[in-house]
Amino acid sequence: MTAATLSLAPVEQEVTSTQDVVAPDLPWVTIVWNDPVNLMTYVTWVFETYFGYPRPKAEKLMMDVHVKGKAVVSNGPRESMERDAEALQGYGLWATFEKDE
Amino acid sequence: MARAFLREDDDYVALLDTTERTVLYGLMQQTRTLLSPEIEPTGDTFDDLVATMGLSLSASDSATQPDSSGLADRDPALDRLLPTAHRGDDQVAAEFRRLTEEGLRQRKSGNLDVALDRLSDASGDRVVLGPHQAPAFLMALTDVRLLLGERMGMRTEEDAEALHAAMEVIDDDDPLGYAMAWYDFLTWLQETLTHALMGTDLALGEAAYDEDDVDDLTEDDDYDDVDDRDHDVEDGPRGAV
Repeated sequence: MTAATLSLAPVEQEVTSTQDVVAPDLPWVTIVWNDPVNLMTYVTWVFETYFGYPRPKAEKLMMDVHVKGKAVVSNGPRESMERDAEALQGYGLWATFEKDE
Repeated sequence: MARAFLREDDDYVALLDTTERTVLYGLMQQTRTLLSPEIEPTGDTFDDLVATMGLSLSASDSATQPDSSGLADRDPALDRLLPTAHRGDDQVAAEFRRLTEEGLRQRKSGNLDVALDRLSDASGDRVVLGPHQAPAFLMALTDVRLLLGERMGMRTEEDAEALHAAMEVIDDDDPLGYAMAWYDFLTWLQETLTHALMGTDLALGEAAYDEDDVDDLTEDDDYDDVDDRDHDVEDGPRGAV
């Protein structure tokens, strides 16, 4: 009995409450900063390989890094952004995470 | 004279002569030494993961003090290879570093080990990378260039431009010119491997490295080429997907 209740009803409820409670929280972002060493092609490859972004999106983000000095490359909960920043640092990119303002 | 990385079936193959392989091997070894983790990777990914977890747990005992003292002794190049992950909150940055640095050191060292192995395994100048080794080699090249760039003081775009400008008047026997020439060579090599991985291989005719570009540091054709590539990107995605 308990199992059936748990498996169905709370799912719907949780969606509503999540939206109510979490929505006011600003999401976190992962930022990649420009640097003089990393190649434009390589940065594009990293965005394709790690995020699975299609090439046009990867190139657009790369150009933002290159021209504007930085780009927000992903957003979401803090834990995910920490994971993205760590992975991108593994690729040699200068990645940081912060709360979106 | 080097030939670019090109795709051959499932492999990626470059031609690097003995000098090129020796210099690259030495640079990769130095990078590997700098990045060495406290616990060396075993080659077994599960064991390595467990080892990292053990270390981050024990490290929590000493993490009560902000690690500014530890950072002060760090080789500044490490801050380029393992940069701060939060600008503006040192405590968040220190906590992130504590949790991730050992794992990052292990992964980067593992990439360099793969690359060193492929270089020493070359036969007839052929450096052959399998499908899973090519990304590791590419990331290893990145870390070598980051270290070399940091050692030459290349931290901003302005630094890079100043260094390239200095190459026009530098003495032939200046070690900085020598380092810069190898840096440019590695830039070219990394570019070719990236293109090969992205399916946008250079045409065979463009695949040879012109050693004059290395020897003759007064010409900056390379950077014009890089600028041209910038424009290519604005024109649209290269190569078919």
